[in-house]
Amino acid sequence: MSMSNKIVLINGSPKINEESVSGYLVSLLSDRIGTDGINKIIINVRQSLTRHQTLSDFEVISKADAIVIVFPLYIFCLPAMLTRFLEDYYHYYSETGKIAGNQKIYPIVNCGFPEAEINGEAVHVVQSFSRHINAEYRFGILIGSGGMLIGAKGAPFMKKAMIKLQNAFDEIKSDSLNNAHQNLEDVLININFPRWLYFFMGDRGFIHDAHKNGLKKKDMLRKPYRANEPS
Amino acid sequence: MKGYIISDKDYQSRIYTRLWELVTANLTEKEFQIEHREIGRDELAFCKGCFGCWIKQPGECTIKDSMAEINSRYMNSDVVVYLSPVIFGQFSANLKSAIDRWLPNYLPFFMTRPDGSTMHPPRYLTYPKQIIIGYGEAVSKEDAQLFVDITKKHRRNIEVLFFNGCDSDCTSFLNQIKLERVGGQL
Repeated sequence: MSMSNKIVLINGSPKINEESVSGYLVSLLSDRIGTDGINKIIINVRQSLTRHQTLSDFEVISKADAIVIVFPLYIFCLPAMLTRFLEDYYHYYSETGKIAGNQKIYPIVNCGFPEAEINGEAVHVVQSFSRHINAEYRFGILIGSGGMLIGAKGAPFMKKAMIKLQNAFDEIKSDSLNNAHQNLEDVLININFPRWLYFFMGDRGFIHDAHKNGLKKKDMLRKPYRANEPS
Repeated sequence: MKGYIISDKDYQSRIYTRLWELVTANLTEKEFQIEHREIGRDELAFCKGCFGCWIKQPGECTIKDSMAEINSRYMNSDVVVYLSPVIFGQFSANLKSAIDRWLPNYLPFFMTRPDGSTMHPPRYLTYPKQIIIGYGEAVSKEDAQLFVDITKKHRRNIEVLFFNGCDSDCTSFLNQIKLERVGGQL
């Protein structure tokens, strides 16, 4: 077991001022893995790009023993913002050749749809990224109904999913600290909640938010680019 | 008939040039009027996941840049072709910026697809036929397959090809597709 492993937690949420599920997951993971034998560094991709500090952040990432990439699913793969960051990191890696040996990589992906497995291709993208930078993909955590982690925090039906999530976080910690290289299975986390009710509440939530902006439900159905198309 | 081609300004390799020639020749032969939009680094802002296109300004992105023009041209074309470099088995960041910000063209609500997975309902009755072609040198078989899976596992009515430099594969792929507007069910 190596002493003081350096773990970089990358928050890949594109949100600007709103609370994000990815940000929440990063803070949960950070609390869970603690500080014992671990040197944690959190990198926020949006801040890194907008403050033009990618080079210094890439330097940090290249020296990490483990990298956890936390992000929301956008159109069945990575958000463009995180794609930009990883593309640029790959160019940095290719040009400098700098990288710590045996880096381990763990993606944590959440989506707004109930099915955790929808995140599967996004996890494969991180696998491909790992191959490109000569790092070792270990396992991913795929989360469905991601918004409920914040929206239904503490509800009894969340308990099973939260325990599974904590166990997966513990696995990241222990795996990143040891020299194991055996294959590990991705962890799928589905919230135990009726699908029809999830749809109903999700739809109501959007209508409620639109109302707050002075819109009626029919306004939400506007067709700005084909105004003559019948409803 | 209108064809709209969206491509990446920053990855203009030899294989891209050949792909461009094949696609434009195919569409021209079928009497399409072609419009072309190249997307370079920092030309489009990244989607920020605000859902303003659903709850503030329905059907339009609230970020003020050229994406409104792209979405308008997209929605009023008969065929849209994305030519994307394959990076880690997915779209390049430049192309992904445009694809992420395609969200206004769908509604926020949830519905179930025939395979049991979830989708958002269409905002419009019809959409352009979408064709996605990935390209790149030294792309592994795994990454080429992943590029196809990202869309084909979750979408009907969108055609995807990884172009490895074989002209006849590209031409026969394009010739098999009915090049006209389609319904919006994903």
